[in-house]
Amino acid sequence: MVDLSEPLRQPANQIGAEIVAACRSGDRDAFRALYDFYKGRVYSVALYFFHGDQAAAGDVTQQVFLKLMTGIGQFRGDSLFSTWLYRLVVNACMDAARLRKSDATVSGRSWLESVAGPDSQERDYLRAQTATSVRAAVAALPPKFRIAVLLRYFEDLSYEEMAKALHCSMGTVASRLSRGHRILAEKLRGL
Amino acid sequence: MLRLAIAVCVLATFALAQDFKFIIGSPVASQDFQFKSAAFVFRTEGCADPAKSQIGATAEGIVKGTRRSIALKVMASAKPGVYAVVQTWPAEGDWLVSLRGTCADANAGAIVPIRGTGFVRESSKFFSRPATDSEIDAALKALAQGDHK
Amino acid sequence: MFTRHVSRQLAAHIDGELSPQKAGNAARHIAQCADCRAEREQVKYGMDALDQLAPVAPPDAIWMSIEAALRRPESSVREWRLAFAASAILILSGAAYWAVTHRPGVRWEVLRTGGAPVVNQKRIVRGGSRIGAGEWIETDSESRARLQVGEIGSVEVGPNTRLRVVAARPGEHRLALARGEIRAKISAPPRLFFVDTGSGTAVDLGCEYTLVADDGGNDLLRVSKGWVSFQWKGLESLVPAGASCRTRPGVGPGIPYFEDAPERLKQALEIFGFEKAGDEALRTILTEARVRDTLTLWHLLWRVDVEDRARIYDRIASLTPVPAGVSREQALKLDRGTLSRWKDELAWTW
Repeated sequence: MVDLSEPLRQPANQIGAEIVAACRSGDRDAFRALYDFYKGRVYSVALYFFHGDQAAAGDVTQQVFLKLMTGIGQFRGDSLFSTWLYRLVVNACMDAARLRKSDATVSGRSWLESVAGPDSQERDYLRAQTATSVRAAVAALPPKFRIAVLLRYFEDLSYEEMAKALHCSMGTVASRLSRGHRILAEKLRGL
Repeated sequence: MLRLAIAVCVLATFALAQDFKFIIGSPVASQDFQFKSAAFVFRTEGCADPAKSQIGATAEGIVKGTRRSIALKVMASAKPGVYAVVQTWPAEGDWLVSLRGTCADANAGAIVPIRGTGFVRESSKFFSRPATDSEIDAALKALAQGDHK
Repeated sequence: MFTRHVSRQLAAHIDGELSPQKAGNAARHIAQCADCRAEREQVKYGMDALDQLAPVAPPDAIWMSIEAALRRPESSVREWRLAFAASAILILSGAAYWAVTHRPGVRWEVLRTGGAPVVNQKRIVRGGSRIGAGEWIETDSESRARLQVGEIGSVEVGPNTRLRVVAARPGEHRLALARGEIRAKISAPPRLFFVDTGSGTAVDLGCEYTLVADDGGNDLLRVSKGWVSFQWKGLESLVPAGASCRTRPGVGPGIPYFEDAPERLKQALEIFGFEKAGDEALRTILTEARVRDTLTLWHLLWRVDVEDRARIYDRIASLTPVPAGVSREQALKLDRGTLSRWKDELAWTW
């Protein structure tokens, strides 16, 4: 049993090898620790990828962690654990996006912070509007640019790690990030 | 010769100081959709390094006969030297925005009256220094009397 | 010397992911290339914009469902995985079948704000309803409605209006106005909200506006906040706050004008813009134009022959200084870069 009370000394985006080893031996507490470590990032990537669709984000999150936990016995440790995890995230998001091609978003605002009411400062309203607009712009990116931008932003992966997660070369990662961010800027800037 | 050179430098500095000014416009001029609800946008001109300029703004108003002054946060655009003023003053009363800026040793000021539908370009005034209290009061009085287009 | 453009490497350059040699080459190129500098600024802007995205914690229910699946006895893990795989295949197949055979499932909220509007052929007498792609909102003289356009804004539907939802997707919120009046209040990045009419498409660039369409397909677009682009077959009119633009079917967007422009200018524009009755009308427009009416004059540049274009250029130049980098010769040739730069500067007078 791993002592989960000890603080992890790894970089913030990498879970400890001992946790992974404990998961491989079926330690349920280690599974929970693994889930708690990555859940916010996985869910956030999926949620913004699907423009606030909590159901879709929940499905992707569940799918990723179930695959992770049932397949962890096959993880050989010859690459970073997070690389494998994010490969699962990429595949799950892109597969779901292909199925949802003509569908999309939720109507309503259940997951968004509420927009400031009429009595609030105009500045706070502007800030809330800006956040809404950025989310919409991200959701409007072509899927391959969208997943690259979100992975980079939320996970702070190196280009080498992103290349493995995205099944492409580092040059392609650089190109997708350049193009994706440029499209975002064009959408947000208007004229 | 040295005196001539010094005189030229002083004149050049003076000329540069005169060039620092504000240009105001509707939100469309900023080309930034985040400013579409702004009261107005403005840019600085004649500043060699806009990133180092100091810009401030206050909303000056009269509400039911009471004089009021509210410090404003000027929103900077990604484009250097382009800013937006978002309304955070009450809808009630007569209001104008007083802009002030410094760039190196140069100063600039502006008084921009506000009407319900936006800013009043024709009544806006521009200075090579911050507007004085009496200039602001005079502009507010003109606003209250409806002396604007 | 590294002379090729570095567009594809800009993100890597900003993120410090290039090797020292490549980073140095890129930096030297960027220092000399205005296009790459501008693109680098765009990429940086896009990166900074993402600071608006806050991490979101998943609901507890997700862990509970994972835990439930993991709680099964070890010996049944393989069975569970097979069952999961089989279920997943069934679910995915079902979803694919549904997606192919059904309309997209996004439905926007519609609130009744007066009378009894008809939504998807059902009369709404109380509260609201939902509407999806391909469905209509219809109001009579007594009724009104408010349509919530996804998460990006709302549209007030006036009396005697027929409005259809064409698309409801993250990258495209599109309506079609057959007749009547709508007032749109949109807060979204540009080019996410569109309204098709009989005479063109209003492309939202972040704004509030009113669009009125009559039964003949003639439209009047009036913008109260932000700005709108009205487009039809390559013709485009940019309409900022305080301005309006008429459109006609088969002709497309007219020339935008400010509501407070001189009446004689507006009347002459009506004649010149659609009836192409030339010289007298153009003379009136040029004579009556104020500095602010360079909005109208700039758009006219694209719609006239070279001779008239020269007259318009000269009138704009007499109203407001022509910026550096805008040459008369290039403007008369309708050089896009030149006219775009000129518009950027003129916009400060609109």
